[in-house]
Amino acid sequence: MTLPETIPFLGIGWDDLLFMTLAGVMLISGLLVVTMRNIIRCALAMIVCFAALAGLYVIASAPFVAAAEVLVYIGAISVLVLFAIMLTQTKAAPSRLVFQTQAGPAAVAGILLAIVITLAVVSTDWPVSNTLNPTDTRSVAETLFGSFVLPFEVVSVLLLAAVIGGVFLAKKEHGGID
Amino acid sequence: MLSALDGMAQSLDAYLVLAGILFAIGSFGFLARRNAISMLMSIELMLNAVNLSIIAFGAFSTSLVVEASVIALIVMAAAAAEATVGLAIVIAIYRNRKTPLVDEYDAMRQ
Repeated sequence: MTLPETIPFLGIGWDDLLFMTLAGVMLISGLLVVTMRNIIRCALAMIVCFAALAGLYVIASAPFVAAAEVLVYIGAISVLVLFAIMLTQTKAAPSRLVFQTQAGPAAVAGILLAIVITLAVVSTDWPVSNTLNPTDTRSVAETLFGSFVLPFEVVSVLLLAAVIGGVFLAKKEHGGID
Repeated sequence: MLSALDGMAQSLDAYLVLAGILFAIGSFGFLARRNAISMLMSIELMLNAVNLSIIAFGAFSTSLVVEASVIALIVMAAAAAEATVGLAIVIAIYRNRKTPLVDEYDAMRQ
C-alpha cells in the first residue's frame, strides 16, 4: 500500500504535516519550559522539546545530528539537569514566585526579538536551493576527521576540562583539595 | 484548505522562523526566571535554536550540507561542557547560600 502524494482533504504533503506537528510540539513544550511552576516538570518538558527537535532534524535530512541530539541532550544533559534539580531544590522553592520582577519587560523583549527575527528571515532572499539536500553520514565522518580534525581534538580537550572542572566545583570543600 | 501551508517542510524560512521563535522563548526564560537551573535550561533552548538554524542552512545549501552537521555536532559538545560547568557552579553556590534563586545572591550588594 502506498500513501497518496498529499493528504486527502487537507491539500498538504505528509512531511508538511509532520513538520507542523513537531514544530507545534516543540514550541508549546518550549513555552512550558520557561513558564511552568514546578521545575521538575520544566525539565521533563525540555526533554519533549529536544525530542521534537530531533524529529525536525530528521525532516531536515540530518539523521546523524538527530541521533546525537537524542544521545547528548535527552540522554545526558537532561539527566544532568534533573540531578542538579534534585540536589538544589528545597521544599519551599517551587511554591514561591517563579518569575523575577523584570518578567514583564523580559516578555516584551522576547516577543520583540521573535518579531524582528521573523521579519528579517522572511524579508531576506536567501541564496539557497529550494530543495532539501540529504546529508550523507559517511561524508560527515570524513569531514569531521579530515578538515575538521583540529576543532574535534580541541572540543575533546574542552570536554575533559569541563568534566574535571565540574567535579572540582561540585566537590565538598572539606574534601581535601583547597 | 490549508494549501497555503503546502511545501512548508521544504522552505528555509519555516525552519529559520521556528529557530528564531525558540531562541526568543529561551531568551525570555533566561531573563525572567528566578531559579538558576531554569536559566541554564533556557540557555540550552537557545543553543538548540541556533543548532536548528545551522542545520536548516546546511540542508538547503548544496555545498555546506556536510559542514553544517559537523558544526552542529561541535556546538553540541560545547553545550554539554557548558551545562556541566554551569550546573556545577549552581550546586557550589547552593552549598554556600542554601537557595537556587538568583535574586537572593546579593552578597556583593550588602
